[in-house]
Amino acid sequence: MATPASSGLNWPSWINVSVRELLLVVGVIVITAGISIGSSGNFWAASNLTNLMISTAITLVPAIGMTVIIVTGGIDVSVGSMLGLVAVAGGTAFEYGLGLAAATPVFLIAGAILGLINGALITYGRVPPVIATLGTLSVYRAAAFLFLGNHWITMIPPSVTETMVLTQPLGVPVAVWIALVLLALGMVFLARLPRGRHIFAIGNNENAARLNGIPVERIKLAAYTLTGVLVGVAALMSLGHSPMVQTTTGTGFELTVIAAVVLGGTELTGGRGSLLGTLLGAILVGLVQNGVVLLHIQPFWSGVVLGVIILVSVGSATVRRND
Amino acid sequence: MNRIDWTGRAPVLLVISLITLIGVSIGAPGIWSTDNLFAMGVLAVEIGIIALGQTFVINTGGIDLSVGAIFALAQVVMGLAMVGGVPWPLAVMLGLGVGVLCGLVNGLATVWLRVPAIIVTLATMFAFSGLALVITSGIDVSGFPEGFAVLGQGTIGSVPLQIVAIYLPLLVLLAVVQWRTRFGRLVHLTGTNTLAARLTGIRIGRVQIATFVIAGGLAALAGAINASRLTTARPDAGATDNLISIAIVVLGGSSIFGGKGSVVGTALATLVIALVNYGLSFNNLNAIYQSGLIGLILIVAVLMQNIMLSIQQRRAAAT
Repeated sequence: MATPASSGLNWPSWINVSVRELLLVVGVIVITAGISIGSSGNFWAASNLTNLMISTAITLVPAIGMTVIIVTGGIDVSVGSMLGLVAVAGGTAFEYGLGLAAATPVFLIAGAILGLINGALITYGRVPPVIATLGTLSVYRAAAFLFLGNHWITMIPPSVTETMVLTQPLGVPVAVWIALVLLALGMVFLARLPRGRHIFAIGNNENAARLNGIPVERIKLAAYTLTGVLVGVAALMSLGHSPMVQTTTGTGFELTVIAAVVLGGTELTGGRGSLLGTLLGAILVGLVQNGVVLLHIQPFWSGVVLGVIILVSVGSATVRRND
Repeated sequence: MNRIDWTGRAPVLLVISLITLIGVSIGAPGIWSTDNLFAMGVLAVEIGIIALGQTFVINTGGIDLSVGAIFALAQVVMGLAMVGGVPWPLAVMLGLGVGVLCGLVNGLATVWLRVPAIIVTLATMFAFSGLALVITSGIDVSGFPEGFAVLGQGTIGSVPLQIVAIYLPLLVLLAVVQWRTRFGRLVHLTGTNTLAARLTGIRIGRVQIATFVIAGGLAALAGAINASRLTTARPDAGATDNLISIAIVVLGGSSIFGGKGSVVGTALATLVIALVNYGLSFNNLNAIYQSGLIGLILIVAVLMQNIMLSIQQRRAAAT
């Protein structure tokens, strides 16, 4: 029932979405102003800004892959468990005494394998994306528990935090630079390269895309695998942020990522979406979580606020388009 | 319109039940006592009731990720009311009302804002479980009047009350609604082809809203039984129930795209899942393995069905 609304000439739909992105920018400014007034300036403390930037980057990196997946008309609800299992694999590598450089491939490859499993189930197994990743959500979590048990990995070398968080060229942590570079690459890819256009084509009409000779299955498989790799990057960043792995690491993270993408205006029916929106969505989610802490609101409110923001944002967009 | 066809996944479900039965009998030979079976049934009733509501939502082509949150919100509302001195039947009604209201919010947001159900209920899942935490400050509620215990701990003869007096009558009622009423047919029609349903003059919005209300109300009912059984209302209860209820419904033969499925299939799948869960916990295996195994069963079930389907198609093409 996907209605390819404004099909035809401008289907990467940058122009259509810009109103929404403008609104998101306004939302970010308003919330920032609110928090900085409410926290009597504590918001602008260097430690808080670093904190906010890192947690936004951790959401943003997998959200790039998630945006691509959702544009193809799929979804991946397993990224939280994936992050946990990848962190277990990478953390175990650290426990064996590997350094940051040697352990990085472990994170990326573990992520790639888990993403590939999701993609293979969805493309070649023809399991609907929600079902397949709902299944792997609990399977990956159980696997993390199988490897780790009730044990905690705390032997994360300090070099991870030093490299990812404390090294700050131009005042911005390396982790954030990595996220921004990945985002820029993704934007160029989606907007400028033929493969990027194919992703929108698949989301708009999969059969038409297939009949036009676009290798639908291979592209989807690549999208899920890529998301796995990006989750690996995020896992490494999150260990720099809080150097500890336990079996519950990453629980609920999939919802934060999906919330960022959806807030950014990417539609779950596929075929429409923008990475610029995803960036703004990730910032908004990060701001809400940060603001709740700074304003000494009960942390439980962050869920309520996030839920209401998603509903209002997506709902108003739909109403506007139908008018 | 014929009777609801859930044969698609029936053979798969049968094979899985058989494997589970054999596995459980070998792995936990002591399981086949009446006491154990009743204990298993008690655990199955709560998620089973949630899954019954989820069946209706999924059969219209929707999905409800917020049922676990409603399960928690409704039970803490009841708990707080009872602690505040409200008589327990009234408190339970209040909790059920909260569930119905939550379902109404889901339904209205889906239909009026025309936002996909998965986003609406993702948002309301955050909101409802956040509310449950906010009104309790994250602390468990307990200290209920004695009468309340009947819902989750009462027995009729030696059979747990919630199995014979709540779950089974509910199942029969919903099966009749699904097979014998106009609403039941409309649910499947809406799921089969929303556009066609709308063009034939069916108010599909009302059908969708009704299914969300049913799901919300039933999640609240399950919450009441849960709080009564544990003599505690937990604001963080049911966090995994969102996903497990969907897994059960799909395992029970419902198509995730709507139009296909039945509450009877869901009930059978609940039984299988309960058996797996109880067999594992009987061997002292952690709950994480239980949900991991459910995830695996879900994937394998859909894969097997796809394989059988493609064999069928190949045969059809050959002849």
